[in-house]
Amino acid sequence: MNKKVLIVDDDDDVRTFLLTVLEENNYTPLIAHDGIEGKDMIEKHKPDLVILDVLMPRGSGIQLFRKLKTDDSLKKIPVIMFTGISLKSFLRSQKVLDEFQNGKVPKPDIYLEKPVEPEELIEAIQKKIG
Amino acid sequence: MTPRKILVVDDEESNVRLLSMSLRSDGYITIPAYSGEEGLEGFKKESPDIVITDIKMPGMDGLELLKKIKEIDSEKEVIIITGHGDIDSTIMALQYGASDFINKPVRDEALAIALTRAESKIDIRKKLNEYTENLENKIKEATTEIRRKSDFQKLLIKSSNNGIVATDNSWKIVIFNPEAERLFQQKQSDVINKIDIKALYPDEIIEALELETEMHKNGRLPWKETTLFSKNGKEIPISFSGNILYEKDKIIGSVSFFQDLTDIKKLEKELIQSERLVAVGQTVSGLAHYIKNILVGLKGGSYVLDVGLKNNNTEKLRAGWNTIKKHINRTSNLVQDLLTYSKERDPEYQKCSPNEVINEVIQLVENVAEKNDIKIKKKLDSAIGEVLIDNKTIHRSLLNLVSNAMDACLDDEDTNKNWFVSIKTSVEKNKIFCLEVEDNGRGMHQETMDNLYTSFFSTKGGRGTGLGLLVTKKLIQEHNGTIDFKSNLNKGTTFTIRLPFKDIIE
Repeated sequence: MNKKVLIVDDDDDVRTFLLTVLEENNYTPLIAHDGIEGKDMIEKHKPDLVILDVLMPRGSGIQLFRKLKTDDSLKKIPVIMFTGISLKSFLRSQKVLDEFQNGKVPKPDIYLEKPVEPEELIEAIQKKIG
Repeated sequence: MTPRKILVVDDEESNVRLLSMSLRSDGYITIPAYSGEEGLEGFKKESPDIVITDIKMPGMDGLELLKKIKEIDSEKEVIIITGHGDIDSTIMALQYGASDFINKPVRDEALAIALTRAESKIDIRKKLNEYTENLENKIKEATTEIRRKSDFQKLLIKSSNNGIVATDNSWKIVIFNPEAERLFQQKQSDVINKIDIKALYPDEIIEALELETEMHKNGRLPWKETTLFSKNGKEIPISFSGNILYEKDKIIGSVSFFQDLTDIKKLEKELIQSERLVAVGQTVSGLAHYIKNILVGLKGGSYVLDVGLKNNNTEKLRAGWNTIKKHINRTSNLVQDLLTYSKERDPEYQKCSPNEVINEVIQLVENVAEKNDIKIKKKLDSAIGEVLIDNKTIHRSLLNLVSNAMDACLDDEDTNKNWFVSIKTSVEKNKIFCLEVEDNGRGMHQETMDNLYTSFFSTKGGRGTGLGLLVTKKLIQEHNGTIDFKSNLNKGTTFTIRLPFKDIIE
């Protein structure tokens, strides 16, 4: 059975692109448009991996990431942070940095910066879930 | 007090003795002499304060002695003793400078009076001498002090970094310091007392000085920047200030100060230049970033399109093509913004109803707002009917502000809020149309507020060009309006635009 990968992104075009890449590589894509919907989908479908946008309306990717990683039943699901902002500026965001330093939240499993080539994304996913 | 010395001269010994006895008993020291010659010698030797001499003597007589003494020291008091009927020689004696005369036989009272008079003359003279001497010293001191001060002031004027030019009340130049020489390229010797400032100053400064003279206010001209044309035609940027000099309400002259701004202007220019370079750098890197985002979109779209072609999947073809079209659109929006921002544009005052323009904009955004649970509230002042105003400015600005306000709600992490964007219009005094856009979204960080009007600064990731507010601000400024904002982090933001309008003249 194909592995389930949840895409959480507010941008139509990014979703369409990711969806197509996943389909082409024999994964089953699931779609969520924002952080809240993303949380529901994770609880309902228990995906094998989550691709998470950082900057999103209604509950940012960071918020969702924090929820995931502090929930014992969900924290084993690998997360790819996928964003237009660089890892540096992501870590610079004081709130996030504080939590990472306190060890409250682990660093994202994989951090991918837009633009990403389809091969690069697939490689990252395969590394985590085969 | 040391007792005074009195020289007593008489050819009759008894007279000398009698007189001396009487004087000594009064506390004087006496020097006896029995002839004119002896008297002169005694005078030279003893330098007495007072001389009492008989007028008639064999050999050198009293008058001769008097003359000789006065030649030696004109200030010595000489009392002449005369016999009866000696009027002529008495007058002569007085002419020669005798201080007094006593008739023979010498009576004590007359002697006492003569002595007192002589002594008080000595005292007065002494005091006068002291006083004069004192005065001379004081004058000397004061002169030195004045010279010192004047030298100091001259030095100050001479060494001042400002050009200093002073005139008398007919504008004739009386002071012209070295810096003024340099600025005007004129020698001190060619201008002082030779020409008046009207031949030297730019008209602007002369007018200012004359106006100040007429107005008779405080006589002070504040610093003002202008340009000076020196004799060799060089233009020098300067700062000028001047004073009309008054002495009890009467104009006695004027003084002007000139500061060379050449170096400052040069530095200012360099600063602007380097600021411009920084701005260009920011613009270029912002633009590159934005174009990169568009390329990411185009690339993603073309991947999806390729997959559609490969699999003969119409749905994928359509989705990929849509993405590409959207990014072509974004490119054209960017170009539009860049052009609007870089081109000068005069507002077109047209007959229009601002409230109607606002309703049009609300219609444009209503769908998106509803989809995202954002309530659009409006409170439009019906008192604004049709006026002359540039409707494009209102349309473009409001659309930008409302889009920003909705994004601020969408990006808000507090999902428990009931988001709203409220649009208010009103008319203020002096024909000002006021438009307010308020939201209760995420508000702004200080950094965002500081960079609000920086080109290509955006917190919206790929969604914003980072030019929207910049274009809005430019349109409003071209319309002679203002834009202000208030923002509280996590609470919301309010933008207020004020635009002047004109009434329609039928």
